[in-house]
Amino acid sequence: MIERHNLFLHEFAPETSKELQFFSIIAQSFFQPFSLIDNLLVILTALTAGPGVGFNRAMLFLANGDKLNGEFWLGPASAADADSIWRVLSTPGIGYLEIIEHNRALLTSDANSLTKRLKKISYSLYQDNPLIPAAATSSQEIILVKDAWNEPLVERRFQEMIGVDEFLCIPLLAQKEVLGEIILDNAITRLPIQRRDIELASICGLFAGNYIYTAKLQKRIVEMKRVAAMGEMVMFVTHQLRNPLVTIGGFADQLLDPKTGEKKQKRNLHIIRSEIRRLEKILLRLTQFLLIDIKEKVPVDIQEMFKLVVNAARPRATSGKVTLTTEVEPGLNVILCDPIHMGEALRNVIDNAFDALPDGGKIHLRAYRENDQWGVISVQDTGKGIPKSLKEKIFDTFVSTKEKGMGLGLAYVKRVVDACGGRIEVESEEGKGTTFKLHFKTGERGSQK
Amino acid sequence: MKKKLLIVEDEKNLCVLYKEELTKEGYKVTAVMDADAALELVKKHKFDLIITDIRMPVKNGIDLITQIMALRKDIPIIINTAYQSYKHDFMTWAADAYVVKSASLDELKSKIKELVG
Repeated sequence: MIERHNLFLHEFAPETSKELQFFSIIAQSFFQPFSLIDNLLVILTALTAGPGVGFNRAMLFLANGDKLNGEFWLGPASAADADSIWRVLSTPGIGYLEIIEHNRALLTSDANSLTKRLKKISYSLYQDNPLIPAAATSSQEIILVKDAWNEPLVERRFQEMIGVDEFLCIPLLAQKEVLGEIILDNAITRLPIQRRDIELASICGLFAGNYIYTAKLQKRIVEMKRVAAMGEMVMFVTHQLRNPLVTIGGFADQLLDPKTGEKKQKRNLHIIRSEIRRLEKILLRLTQFLLIDIKEKVPVDIQEMFKLVVNAARPRATSGKVTLTTEVEPGLNVILCDPIHMGEALRNVIDNAFDALPDGGKIHLRAYRENDQWGVISVQDTGKGIPKSLKEKIFDTFVSTKEKGMGLGLAYVKRVVDACGGRIEVESEEGKGTTFKLHFKTGERGSQK
Repeated sequence: MKKKLLIVEDEKNLCVLYKEELTKEGYKVTAVMDADAALELVKKHKFDLIITDIRMPVKNGIDLITQIMALRKDIPIIINTAYQSYKHDFMTWAADAYVVKSASLDELKSKIKELVG
Protein backbone atom coordinates (compact mmCIF):
# COMPACT_ATOMS: atom_id res chain seq x y z
CA MET A 1 0.00 0.00 0.00
CA ILE A 2 1.24 3.46 -0.74
CA GLU A 3 0.15 6.87 0.39
CA ARG A 4 0.78 10.00 -1.62
CA HIS A 5 1.18 13.46 -0.10
CA ASN A 6 1.56 16.85 -1.64
CA LEU A 7 5.05 18.25 -1.23
CA PHE A 8 3.58 21.70 -0.81
CA LEU A 9 1.34 21.93 2.24
CA HIS A 10 -1.46 24.44 2.36
CA GLU A 11 -3.23 23.16 5.42
CA PHE A 12 -1.80 21.75 8.59
CA ALA A 13 -3.07 19.27 11.13
CA PRO A 14 -4.38 20.98 14.29
CA GLU A 15 -1.56 19.53 16.38
CA THR A 16 1.19 20.84 14.05
CA SER A 17 3.25 23.30 16.02
CA LYS A 18 3.28 26.97 15.03
CA GLU A 19 7.03 26.73 14.44
CA LEU A 20 6.68 23.90 11.95
CA GLN A 21 3.95 25.75 10.05
CA PHE A 22 6.09 28.82 10.05
CA PHE A 23 9.15 27.07 8.56
CA SER A 24 6.98 25.25 6.07
CA ILE A 25 5.72 28.57 4.73
CA ILE A 26 9.26 29.90 4.40
CA ALA A 27 10.51 26.70 2.74
CA GLN A 28 7.63 26.74 0.27
CA SER A 29 8.34 30.31 -0.65
CA PHE A 30 11.72 29.11 -2.00
CA PHE A 31 9.75 27.56 -4.85
CA GLN A 32 7.83 30.69 -5.73
CA PRO A 33 9.12 32.88 -8.52
CA PHE A 34 9.21 35.79 -6.09
CA SER A 35 11.66 38.63 -6.26
CA LEU A 36 14.33 39.00 -3.59
CA ILE A 37 12.31 41.56 -1.66
CA ASP A 38 9.19 39.36 -1.89
CA ASN A 39 11.07 36.41 -0.45
CA LEU A 40 12.45 38.50 2.38
CA LEU A 41 8.96 39.81 2.94
CA VAL A 42 7.78 36.22 3.42
CA ILE A 43 10.37 35.69 6.15
CA LEU A 44 9.60 38.95 7.91
CA THR A 45 5.88 38.29 7.59
CA ALA A 46 6.34 34.89 9.19
CA LEU A 47 8.30 36.54 11.98
CA THR A 48 5.59 39.10 12.67
CA ALA A 49 2.35 37.38 11.66
CA GLY A 50 0.20 37.87 14.68
CA PRO A 51 0.06 36.16 18.03
CA GLY A 52 1.57 32.79 18.81
CA VAL A 53 5.00 32.87 17.29
CA GLY A 54 7.24 35.82 16.80
CA PHE A 55 7.46 39.52 17.19
CA ASN A 56 5.41 42.67 16.66
CA ARG A 57 7.67 44.48 14.24
CA ALA A 58 10.54 43.60 11.91
CA MET A 59 12.98 45.95 10.24
CA LEU A 60 15.21 45.00 7.32
CA PHE A 61 18.58 46.48 6.40
CA LEU A 62 20.57 45.39 3.34
CA ALA A 63 24.32 45.82 3.03
CA ASN A 64 25.72 47.57 -0.01
CA GLY A 65 29.49 47.86 0.03
CA ASP A 66 30.36 49.30 3.44
CA LYS A 67 26.88 50.74 3.99
CA LEU A 68 23.93 49.25 5.79
CA ASN A 69 20.78 50.70 4.22
CA GLY A 70 17.23 50.64 5.61
CA GLU A 71 14.88 48.72 3.26
CA PHE A 72 11.54 48.17 4.95
CA TRP A 73 9.88 48.04 8.31
CA LEU A 74 6.96 45.75 8.85
CA GLY A 75 4.37 45.91 11.59
CA PRO A 76 1.82 48.24 13.13
CA ALA A 77 2.82 51.86 13.66
CA SER A 78 0.70 52.22 16.82
CA ALA A 79 -1.43 50.19 19.23
CA ALA A 80 -4.60 51.18 17.38
CA ASP A 81 -3.03 50.21 14.09
CA ALA A 82 -1.95 46.89 15.61
CA ASP A 83 -5.45 46.19 16.77
CA SER A 84 -6.90 46.59 13.30
CA ILE A 85 -4.11 44.63 11.56
CA TRP A 86 -4.28 41.74 13.99
CA ARG A 87 -8.03 41.63 13.77
CA VAL A 88 -7.70 41.17 10.00
CA LEU A 89 -5.00 38.58 10.45
CA SER A 90 -6.99 36.53 12.92
CA THR A 91 -10.02 36.35 10.63
CA PRO A 92 -10.83 32.67 10.15
CA GLY A 93 -9.68 31.37 6.77
CA ILE A 94 -6.88 33.88 6.44
CA GLY A 95 -3.62 32.05 5.74
CA TYR A 96 -0.03 33.13 5.42
CA LEU A 97 -0.40 33.77 1.69
CA GLU A 98 -3.09 36.35 2.37
CA ILE A 99 -0.96 37.90 5.08
CA ILE A 100 1.99 38.16 2.71
CA GLU A 101 -0.30 39.79 0.15
CA HIS A 102 -1.52 42.20 2.81
CA ASN A 103 2.05 43.10 3.78
CA ARG A 104 3.13 43.56 0.18
CA ALA A 105 0.26 45.97 -0.37
CA LEU A 106 1.24 47.75 2.82
CA LEU A 107 4.83 48.22 1.69
CA THR A 108 3.90 49.69 -1.66
CA SER A 109 1.31 52.06 -0.24
CA ASP A 110 2.35 55.54 0.87
CA ALA A 111 0.73 55.02 4.25
CA ASN A 112 3.47 52.84 5.68
CA SER A 113 5.18 55.51 7.72
CA LEU A 114 7.56 53.05 9.35
CA THR A 115 9.20 52.07 6.07
CA LYS A 116 9.21 55.69 4.97
CA ARG A 117 11.23 56.63 8.03
CA LEU A 118 13.59 53.66 7.68
CA LYS A 119 14.32 54.22 3.98
CA LYS A 120 16.21 57.41 4.83
CA ILE A 121 18.55 55.64 7.21
CA SER A 122 21.98 54.27 6.43
CA TYR A 123 24.85 53.18 8.72
CA SER A 124 28.51 52.78 7.90
CA LEU A 125 30.04 49.35 8.32
CA TYR A 126 33.47 50.86 7.93
CA GLN A 127 36.09 49.72 10.45
CA ASP A 128 33.69 47.40 12.27
CA ASN A 129 31.37 50.14 13.48
CA PRO A 130 30.77 49.30 17.18
CA LEU A 131 27.46 51.18 17.41
CA ILE A 132 24.16 49.30 17.31
CA PRO A 133 22.53 48.41 14.93
CA ALA A 134 25.62 48.21 12.62
CA ALA A 135 27.52 46.31 15.34
CA ALA A 136 25.57 43.05 14.84
CA THR A 137 26.45 43.01 11.14
CA SER A 138 30.09 44.05 11.72
CA SER A 139 30.66 41.47 14.43
CA GLN A 140 28.49 38.82 12.78
CA GLU A 141 26.72 38.12 16.07
CA ILE A 142 23.14 38.23 17.26
CA ILE A 143 22.75 41.14 19.67
CA LEU A 144 19.88 41.42 22.16
CA VAL A 145 19.57 44.96 23.49
CA LYS A 146 17.87 45.52 26.84
CA ASP A 147 17.39 48.82 28.58
CA ALA A 148 18.22 50.45 25.25
CA TRP A 149 17.77 54.08 26.41
CA ASN A 150 20.64 53.64 28.85
CA GLU A 151 22.89 51.61 26.57
CA PRO A 152 25.77 53.80 25.26
CA LEU A 153 26.45 51.43 22.35
CA VAL A 154 23.05 52.12 20.79
CA GLU A 155 23.19 54.84 18.19
CA ARG A 156 21.03 57.76 19.46
CA ARG A 157 19.12 58.51 16.26
CA PHE A 158 18.29 54.85 15.87
CA GLN A 159 17.05 54.64 19.45
CA GLU A 160 14.78 57.62 18.88
CA MET A 161 13.35 55.98 15.78
CA ILE A 162 12.72 52.51 17.20
CA GLY A 163 11.57 53.91 20.54
CA VAL A 164 11.53 50.61 22.47
CA ASP A 165 13.56 49.40 25.41
CA GLU A 166 14.24 45.94 24.08
CA PHE A 167 15.06 44.73 20.59
CA LEU A 168 16.93 41.98 18.79
CA CYS A 169 19.51 42.37 15.99
CA ILE A 170 20.07 39.41 13.64
CA PRO A 171 22.92 39.69 11.11
CA LEU A 172 22.30 38.22 7.63
CA LEU A 173 25.30 36.32 6.34
CA ALA A 174 26.18 33.75 3.74
CA GLN A 175 29.60 32.32 2.94
CA LYS A 176 31.20 34.84 5.30
CA GLU A 177 29.74 37.67 3.27
CA VAL A 178 27.86 40.36 5.16
CA LEU A 179 24.49 40.87 3.53
CA GLY A 180 22.24 42.76 5.91
CA GLU A 181 20.42 42.76 9.22
CA ILE A 182 16.97 42.17 10.65
CA ILE A 183 15.83 44.02 13.79
CA LEU A 184 12.86 42.70 15.77
CA ASP A 185 10.88 44.08 18.68
CA ASN A 186 7.61 43.81 20.59
CA ALA A 187 6.69 47.48 20.56
CA ILE A 188 2.95 46.87 20.95
CA THR A 189 2.58 43.90 23.30
CA ARG A 190 5.72 44.85 25.30
CA LEU A 191 6.37 41.14 25.84
CA PRO A 192 9.97 40.39 26.77
CA ILE A 193 12.08 38.68 24.07
CA GLN A 194 12.73 35.11 25.14
CA ARG A 195 15.31 32.51 24.30
CA ARG A 196 12.85 30.66 22.06
CA ASP A 197 12.23 33.87 20.09
CA ILE A 198 15.96 34.33 19.58
CA GLU A 199 16.34 30.76 18.31
CA LEU A 200 13.50 31.23 15.87
CA ALA A 201 14.86 34.54 14.64
CA SER A 202 18.35 33.14 14.17
CA ILE A 203 17.06 30.39 11.86
CA CYS A 204 15.12 33.01 9.91
CA GLY A 205 18.30 35.06 9.67
CA LEU A 206 20.09 32.09 8.08
CA PHE A 207 17.25 31.63 5.60
CA ALA A 208 17.23 35.30 4.70
CA GLY A 209 21.02 35.38 4.28
CA ASN A 210 20.75 32.50 1.88
CA TYR A 211 17.98 34.20 -0.07
CA ILE A 212 20.01 37.33 -0.54
CA TYR A 213 23.12 35.39 -1.45
CA THR A 214 21.29 33.31 -4.08
CA ALA A 215 19.65 36.38 -5.53
CA LYS A 216 23.03 38.11 -5.76
CA LEU A 217 24.58 35.10 -7.49
CA GLN A 218 21.70 34.93 -9.90
CA LYS A 219 22.08 38.59 -10.75
CA ARG A 220 25.79 38.07 -11.31
CA ILE A 221 25.15 35.12 -13.64
CA VAL A 222 22.62 37.07 -15.69
CA GLU A 223 25.07 39.95 -15.96
CA MET A 224 27.91 37.63 -16.96
CA LYS A 225 25.76 36.00 -19.61
CA ARG A 226 24.78 39.39 -20.95
CA VAL A 227 28.39 40.56 -21.13
CA ALA A 228 29.48 37.28 -22.77
CA ALA A 229 26.70 37.50 -25.36
CA MET A 230 27.61 41.10 -26.06
CA GLY A 231 31.29 40.19 -26.43
CA GLU A 232 30.42 37.42 -28.87
CA MET A 233 28.24 39.83 -30.80
CA VAL A 234 30.92 42.53 -30.98
CA MET A 235 33.55 40.01 -32.12
CA PHE A 236 31.23 38.69 -34.77
CA VAL A 237 30.30 42.09 -36.14
CA THR A 238 33.96 43.11 -36.19
CA HIS A 239 34.82 40.08 -38.28
CA GLN A 240 31.91 40.51 -40.61
CA LEU A 241 32.78 44.10 -41.31
CA ARG A 242 36.51 43.61 -41.70
CA ASN A 243 36.68 41.94 -45.14
CA PRO A 244 34.55 44.55 -46.92
CA LEU A 245 36.45 47.31 -45.14
CA VAL A 246 39.84 45.95 -46.21
CA THR A 247 38.61 45.80 -49.80
CA ILE A 248 37.12 49.30 -49.72
CA GLY A 249 40.23 50.74 -48.02
CA GLY A 250 42.64 49.10 -50.46
CA PHE A 251 40.82 50.09 -53.62
CA ALA A 252 40.20 53.62 -52.32
CA ASP A 253 43.95 53.99 -51.72
CA GLN A 254 44.56 53.00 -55.33
CA LEU A 255 42.07 55.66 -56.44
CA LEU A 256 44.12 58.30 -54.67
CA ASP A 257 47.23 57.25 -56.56
CA PRO A 258 47.59 59.62 -59.58
CA LYS A 259 49.13 56.79 -61.61
CA THR A 260 45.86 54.81 -61.55
CA GLY A 261 44.32 54.88 -65.01
CA GLU A 262 40.73 55.76 -65.80
CA LYS A 263 39.67 52.19 -66.53
CA LYS A 264 41.02 50.97 -63.22
CA GLN A 265 39.42 53.90 -61.40
CA LYS A 266 36.05 52.88 -62.73
CA ARG A 267 36.59 49.25 -61.76
CA ASN A 268 37.64 50.29 -58.26
CA LEU A 269 34.54 52.42 -57.82
CA HIS A 270 32.36 49.48 -58.82
CA ILE A 271 34.09 47.21 -56.32
CA ILE A 272 33.77 49.82 -53.58
CA ARG A 273 30.08 50.25 -54.32
CA SER A 274 29.42 46.51 -54.21
CA GLU A 275 31.29 46.14 -50.92
CA ILE A 276 29.30 48.99 -49.43
CA ARG A 277 26.12 47.18 -50.46
CA ARG A 278 27.47 44.08 -48.76
CA LEU A 279 28.04 46.05 -45.57
CA GLU A 280 24.50 47.33 -45.77
CA LYS A 281 23.18 43.81 -46.17
CA ILE A 282 25.14 42.64 -43.13
CA LEU A 283 23.68 45.45 -41.02
CA LEU A 284 20.19 44.74 -42.32
CA ARG A 285 20.40 41.06 -41.38
CA LEU A 286 21.78 41.91 -37.97
CA THR A 287 19.02 44.38 -37.17
CA GLN A 288 16.41 41.97 -38.51
CA PHE A 289 17.76 39.34 -36.15
CA LEU A 290 18.03 41.61 -33.13
CA LEU A 291 14.62 43.17 -33.52
CA ILE A 292 12.45 40.05 -33.54
CA ASP A 293 9.51 41.17 -31.48
CA ILE A 294 6.49 38.93 -31.60
CA LYS A 295 3.70 40.22 -29.42
CA GLU A 296 0.76 38.46 -30.89
CA LYS A 297 0.20 35.13 -32.58
CA VAL A 298 -2.45 35.07 -35.27
CA PRO A 299 -3.94 32.25 -37.32
CA VAL A 300 -1.86 31.96 -40.49
CA ASP A 301 -3.17 30.10 -43.53
CA ILE A 302 -0.68 27.36 -44.35
CA GLN A 303 -1.63 27.03 -48.04
CA GLU A 304 -1.16 30.78 -48.49
CA MET A 305 2.18 30.77 -46.73
CA PHE A 306 3.45 27.80 -48.74
CA LYS A 307 2.35 29.50 -51.97
CA LEU A 308 4.34 32.63 -51.12
CA VAL A 309 7.56 30.89 -50.14
CA VAL A 310 7.41 28.46 -53.06
CA ASN A 311 6.90 31.32 -55.53
CA ALA A 312 9.90 33.11 -54.05
CA ALA A 313 12.01 29.95 -54.31
CA ARG A 314 10.89 29.00 -57.85
CA PRO A 315 13.73 30.71 -59.78
CA ARG A 316 16.37 29.08 -57.60
CA ALA A 317 14.71 25.67 -57.99
CA THR A 318 14.68 25.98 -61.77
CA SER A 319 18.29 27.10 -62.08
CA GLY A 320 19.53 24.65 -59.47
CA LYS A 321 17.75 21.57 -60.85
CA VAL A 322 15.79 21.17 -57.62
CA THR A 323 12.28 19.72 -57.50
CA LEU A 324 10.17 21.62 -54.99
CA THR A 325 6.94 19.94 -53.84
CA THR A 326 4.32 20.79 -51.21
CA GLU A 327 1.69 18.80 -49.36
CA VAL A 328 -0.86 19.99 -46.80
CA GLU A 329 -2.90 17.46 -44.81
CA PRO A 330 -6.62 17.92 -45.53
CA GLY A 331 -8.37 19.68 -42.67
CA LEU A 332 -5.24 21.36 -41.39
CA ASN A 333 -5.75 25.00 -42.31
CA VAL A 334 -4.00 27.38 -39.98
CA ILE A 335 -1.21 27.52 -37.44
CA LEU A 336 -0.76 30.19 -34.78
CA CYS A 337 2.29 32.31 -35.40
CA ASP A 338 3.51 35.67 -36.68
CA PRO A 339 2.91 35.67 -40.47
CA ILE A 340 5.75 37.99 -41.46
CA HIS A 341 8.48 36.47 -39.31
CA MET A 342 7.23 32.94 -39.93
CA GLY A 343 7.34 33.43 -43.72
CA GLU A 344 10.89 34.75 -43.43
CA ALA A 345 11.88 31.86 -41.15
CA LEU A 346 10.48 29.30 -43.58
CA ARG A 347 12.35 30.98 -46.42
CA ASN A 348 15.55 30.66 -44.37
CA VAL A 349 15.00 26.91 -43.86
CA ILE A 350 14.30 26.45 -47.59
CA ASP A 351 17.41 28.49 -48.49
CA ASN A 352 19.45 26.13 -46.34
CA ALA A 353 17.91 23.16 -48.14
CA PHE A 354 18.96 24.67 -51.48
CA ASP A 355 22.48 25.20 -50.13
CA ALA A 356 22.61 21.52 -49.22
CA LEU A 357 21.76 20.63 -52.84
CA PRO A 358 24.54 22.10 -55.00
CA ASP A 359 24.07 19.33 -57.57
CA GLY A 360 20.27 19.36 -57.57
CA GLY A 361 17.78 17.12 -55.73
CA LYS A 362 14.42 17.34 -54.01
CA ILE A 363 12.87 19.62 -51.39
CA HIS A 364 9.53 18.58 -49.91
CA LEU A 365 7.47 21.05 -47.92
CA ARG A 366 4.79 19.37 -45.83
CA ALA A 367 2.20 20.36 -43.21
CA TYR A 368 0.48 17.74 -41.09
CA ARG A 369 -1.27 17.24 -37.78
CA GLU A 370 0.69 15.90 -34.85
CA ASN A 371 -2.38 15.69 -32.61
CA ASP A 372 -5.55 17.71 -32.10
CA GLN A 373 -3.65 20.77 -30.81
CA TRP A 374 -0.34 20.71 -32.61
CA GLY A 375 0.68 20.79 -36.24
CA VAL A 376 4.03 20.34 -37.96
CA ILE A 377 5.59 22.10 -40.92
CA SER A 378 8.45 20.03 -42.24
CA VAL A 379 11.10 20.87 -44.82
CA GLN A 380 12.85 17.80 -46.16
CA ASP A 381 15.78 17.78 -48.55
CA THR A 382 17.86 15.07 -50.22
CA GLY A 383 21.07 17.00 -49.69
CA LYS A 384 24.40 16.32 -48.05
CA GLY A 385 23.10 16.32 -44.47
CA ILE A 386 24.50 17.98 -41.35
CA PRO A 387 27.76 16.63 -39.90
CA LYS A 388 27.19 15.00 -36.51
CA SER A 389 29.62 17.38 -34.83
CA LEU A 390 27.49 20.35 -35.86
CA LYS A 391 24.04 18.98 -35.10
CA GLU A 392 24.02 20.29 -31.54
CA LYS A 393 25.13 23.74 -32.58
CA ILE A 394 23.13 24.53 -35.69
CA PHE A 395 20.65 26.76 -33.89
CA ASP A 396 23.34 28.71 -32.03
CA THR A 397 23.97 32.27 -33.05
CA PHE A 398 27.02 32.88 -35.25
CA VAL A 399 27.59 29.21 -36.13
CA SER A 400 27.93 28.70 -39.86
CA THR A 401 29.46 26.16 -42.21
CA LYS A 402 29.31 28.60 -45.06
CA GLU A 403 32.25 30.92 -45.59
CA LYS A 404 29.99 33.89 -46.28
CA GLY A 405 27.39 32.71 -43.78
CA MET A 406 26.70 34.88 -40.78
CA GLY A 407 25.32 32.06 -38.69
CA LEU A 408 22.08 33.94 -38.21
CA GLY A 409 19.70 32.00 -40.47
CA LEU A 410 18.78 29.06 -38.25
CA ALA A 411 19.27 31.07 -35.06
CA TYR A 412 16.65 33.44 -36.46
CA VAL A 413 14.32 30.53 -37.30
CA LYS A 414 14.60 29.17 -33.79
CA ARG A 415 13.96 32.56 -32.23
CA VAL A 416 10.85 33.04 -34.32
CA VAL A 417 9.53 29.55 -33.58
CA ASP A 418 10.24 29.99 -29.85
CA ALA A 419 8.59 33.39 -29.81
CA CYS A 420 5.50 31.84 -31.40
CA GLY A 421 5.35 29.27 -28.61
CA GLY A 422 6.43 26.44 -30.90
CA ARG A 423 9.48 24.24 -31.09
CA ILE A 424 11.90 23.15 -33.79
CA GLU A 425 13.78 19.92 -34.33
CA VAL A 426 16.06 18.51 -36.96
CA GLU A 427 16.73 15.02 -38.29
CA SER A 428 19.71 14.57 -40.53
CA GLU A 429 21.87 11.87 -41.99
CA GLU A 430 25.09 12.67 -43.79
CA GLY A 431 24.80 11.95 -47.49
CA LYS A 432 21.05 11.31 -47.28
CA GLY A 433 19.42 14.57 -46.33
CA THR A 434 17.93 16.74 -43.64
CA THR A 435 14.41 17.33 -42.31
CA PHE A 436 13.53 20.37 -40.24
CA LYS A 437 10.29 20.07 -38.25
CA LEU A 438 8.61 23.20 -36.97
CA HIS A 439 5.88 22.45 -34.43
CA PHE A 440 3.08 24.95 -33.86
CA LYS A 441 -0.28 25.13 -32.18
CA THR A 442 -3.03 24.75 -34.75
CA GLY A 443 -6.10 26.93 -34.91
CA GLU A 444 -9.20 27.58 -36.95
CA ARG A 445 -9.54 30.14 -39.67
CA GLY A 446 -10.56 33.41 -38.06
CA SER A 447 -9.87 32.05 -34.59
CA GLN A 448 -7.44 33.54 -32.16
CA LYS A 449 -6.15 31.74 -29.12
CA MET B 1 65.32 37.78 -59.14
CA LYS B 2 61.85 38.70 -58.00
CA LYS B 3 60.65 36.91 -54.88
CA LYS B 4 57.66 34.66 -55.45
CA LEU B 5 54.60 35.00 -53.22
CA LEU B 6 51.57 32.73 -53.07
CA ILE B 7 48.33 34.24 -51.77
CA VAL B 8 45.46 32.03 -50.62
CA GLU B 9 42.33 34.15 -50.21
CA ASP B 10 38.76 33.15 -50.97
CA GLU B 11 37.46 36.70 -51.50
CA LYS B 12 37.89 37.53 -55.15
CA ASN B 13 38.20 41.28 -54.68
CA LEU B 14 40.86 40.84 -52.02
CA CYS B 15 42.80 38.51 -54.34
CA VAL B 16 42.80 41.22 -56.99
CA LEU B 17 43.80 43.92 -54.52
CA TYR B 18 46.63 41.92 -52.93
CA LYS B 19 47.97 40.84 -56.28
CA GLU B 20 48.05 44.40 -57.63
CA GLU B 21 49.48 45.96 -54.51
CA LEU B 22 52.21 43.37 -53.95
CA THR B 23 53.19 43.32 -57.62
CA LYS B 24 53.70 47.08 -57.26
CA GLU B 25 56.10 46.30 -54.38
CA GLY B 26 58.22 44.25 -56.76
CA TYR B 27 57.08 40.69 -56.04
CA LYS B 28 55.92 38.01 -58.41
CA VAL B 29 52.48 37.21 -57.06
CA THR B 30 50.23 34.19 -57.59
CA ALA B 31 46.77 34.25 -56.00
CA VAL B 32 44.40 31.30 -55.57
CA MET B 33 40.99 31.11 -53.95
CA ASP B 34 41.14 27.77 -52.15
CA ALA B 35 43.55 25.64 -50.16
CA ASP B 36 43.64 22.64 -52.49
CA ALA B 37 44.69 24.76 -55.46
CA ALA B 38 47.40 26.27 -53.26
CA LEU B 39 48.66 22.84 -52.27
CA GLU B 40 48.91 21.74 -55.89
CA LEU B 41 50.99 24.83 -56.70
CA VAL B 42 53.28 24.30 -53.71
CA LYS B 43 53.99 20.76 -54.92
CA LYS B 44 55.00 22.02 -58.39
CA HIS B 45 56.67 25.38 -57.78
CA LYS B 46 59.03 26.92 -55.31
CA PHE B 47 57.58 29.94 -53.46
CA ASP B 48 59.47 32.27 -51.17
CA LEU B 49 56.44 33.07 -48.99
CA ILE B 50 52.84 31.99 -48.53
CA ILE B 51 50.11 34.33 -47.28
CA THR B 52 46.92 32.54 -46.29
CA ASP B 53 43.48 33.30 -44.90
CA ILE B 54 42.08 30.90 -42.29
CA ARG B 55 38.33 30.69 -42.81
CA MET B 56 37.87 29.33 -46.30
CA PRO B 57 35.35 26.88 -47.72
CA VAL B 58 36.28 23.19 -48.07
CA LYS B 59 39.68 23.34 -46.38
CA ASN B 60 40.70 25.96 -43.86
CA GLY B 61 44.03 27.73 -43.63
CA ILE B 62 45.17 25.79 -40.57
CA ASP B 63 44.87 22.46 -42.40
CA LEU B 64 46.68 24.05 -45.31
CA ILE B 65 49.58 25.14 -43.10
CA THR B 66 49.89 21.64 -41.63
CA GLN B 67 50.04 20.12 -45.10
CA ILE B 68 52.48 22.68 -46.46
CA MET B 69 54.77 22.13 -43.49
CA ALA B 70 54.79 18.41 -44.26
CA LEU B 71 55.80 19.18 -47.86
CA ARG B 72 58.19 22.12 -47.50
CA LYS B 73 59.19 22.91 -43.97
CA ASP B 74 61.23 25.96 -44.86
CA ILE B 75 58.60 28.16 -46.58
CA PRO B 76 57.70 31.14 -44.41
CA ILE B 77 53.96 31.57 -43.87
CA ILE B 78 51.92 34.66 -42.98
CA ILE B 79 48.40 34.21 -41.68
CA ASN B 80 46.14 37.02 -42.88
CA THR B 81 42.66 36.83 -41.44
CA ALA B 82 39.76 38.95 -40.28
CA TYR B 83 39.76 37.01 -37.00
CA GLN B 84 41.92 38.05 -34.10
CA SER B 85 40.84 35.02 -32.09
CA TYR B 86 42.77 32.44 -34.12
CA LYS B 87 45.92 33.82 -32.52
CA HIS B 88 45.04 31.66 -29.52
CA ASP B 89 44.84 28.56 -31.69
CA PHE B 90 47.95 26.48 -31.09
CA MET B 91 48.31 25.58 -34.77
CA THR B 92 48.60 29.18 -35.89
CA TRP B 93 51.86 29.36 -33.90
CA ALA B 94 53.48 27.37 -36.71
CA ALA B 95 53.12 30.41 -38.97
CA ASP B 96 55.89 33.00 -39.07
CA ALA B 97 53.54 35.97 -38.69
CA TYR B 98 49.89 36.68 -37.92
CA VAL B 99 48.47 39.80 -39.55
CA VAL B 100 44.86 40.79 -38.90
CA LYS B 101 43.24 42.15 -42.06
CA SER B 102 43.14 45.93 -42.08
CA ALA B 103 42.00 48.68 -44.42
CA SER B 104 45.66 49.64 -44.70
CA LEU B 105 48.05 47.08 -46.19
CA ASP B 106 51.12 48.61 -44.53
CA GLU B 107 51.48 45.98 -41.81
CA LEU B 108 51.17 43.12 -44.29
CA LYS B 109 53.70 44.73 -46.60
CA SER B 110 56.23 45.33 -43.82
CA LYS B 111 55.88 41.73 -42.53
CA ILE B 112 56.52 40.42 -46.06
CA LYS B 113 59.60 42.61 -46.35
CA GLU B 114 60.81 41.34 -42.96
CA LEU B 115 60.47 37.71 -44.01
CA VAL B 116 61.67 37.68 -47.62
CA GLY B 117 63.29 41.07 -48.14
